[in-house]
Amino acid sequence: MNKPLTLIPSDTALENGEDNIVYAAKNGDRNAFKVLYDAHINRVYALCYRLCADKSQAEDAAQEVFIQVWRKLDNYDGKSKFSTWLHSVTANVTISYLRKQRGWWHKMFSLESAELRHEIASEPDMDAFEKHIYQLPERARWVFVLHAIEGYRHEQIGEMLGIAVGTSKAQFHRARHLIEEWMSNE
Amino acid sequence: MNNSEKDMTQQLEALPREKTPSRDLWPGIEYAISQRQAAEKTSWRRQTGIAASFLVALLVGYMGYQGLGSQGILQNNQAIAEQMSVQFMQQRDALLISLDGQNATTQNWQQQLDELDAAAKAIKTALKEDPNNQALLAMLKNVYEQQLKLIERVHAPSWQQI
Repeated sequence: MNKPLTLIPSDTALENGEDNIVYAAKNGDRNAFKVLYDAHINRVYALCYRLCADKSQAEDAAQEVFIQVWRKLDNYDGKSKFSTWLHSVTANVTISYLRKQRGWWHKMFSLESAELRHEIASEPDMDAFEKHIYQLPERARWVFVLHAIEGYRHEQIGEMLGIAVGTSKAQFHRARHLIEEWMSNE
Repeated sequence: MNNSEKDMTQQLEALPREKTPSRDLWPGIEYAISQRQAAEKTSWRRQTGIAASFLVALLVGYMGYQGLGSQGILQNNQAIAEQMSVQFMQQRDALLISLDGQNATTQNWQQQLDELDAAAKAIKTALKEDPNNQALLAMLKNVYEQQLKLIERVHAPSWQQI
């Protein structure tokens, strides 16, 4: 049985001791993994939410992210911050999840993604700028979120999405112009 | 940077970096990873079991092979020794019957024969303790041959001894 770890109260304390917690989790300590989950879930979920533009899918994707992280912890070599590695895994797993979902969704219902985005746009506690992000076409939204919000370079995005660097740049400019246009009409 | 770019940069910086899921996602994650751990344990146990069974089978097979091999040699040497003893006694008895009535040329031939017989028994005892020793088997054969030659020689006609 794994020994329960003492929960670390602040992010700073967690970052200082995170290597040990990651090491414990790598060795199968689920309590340690729970500490990592508690520390990072909201950041991971925010990225999932912005990529999915759907609350339910974002929650499923966030779960899938942590399940995959548990399985792939051995791949984390400690050269970068754990959070950096985690966000990269989050982006990749969520994109993969969405592609699978999209295939299934289209086969079953042939729904337009615009209909799904409408639900997001109607959430009351969201500001106008964020609503515009969710109204973007899927590919343009992925690129915009990864580049403008998460800070990935177009080369990295190209690798993640399996598209050319030029395509990533083009999608970003498209997204930006659409948001500017929508904002100017408000 | 124009106004719209500045405005977008400000809007991006103002975006919340974190969001809270509407439900607790941990139970689902914990269930999935515990299932996986259980599956890995089962798989590990199964693989270990298979490997252990294979190892045991290999070991038993090897020991059996070794055992059978050495026992085979043991049984083979002992059987040869017993066979040699039986043949020797049959030859000796047949020889003594055929020489019945003939006088021995020496008086102590029986004593010599007993000494050779004692030597044969000692060799057979040594062969039981060291069944792989082929030299002992050869010595036994030689002792039996000497016994038969002794019986023949002491009962042979005097002209043949010249």
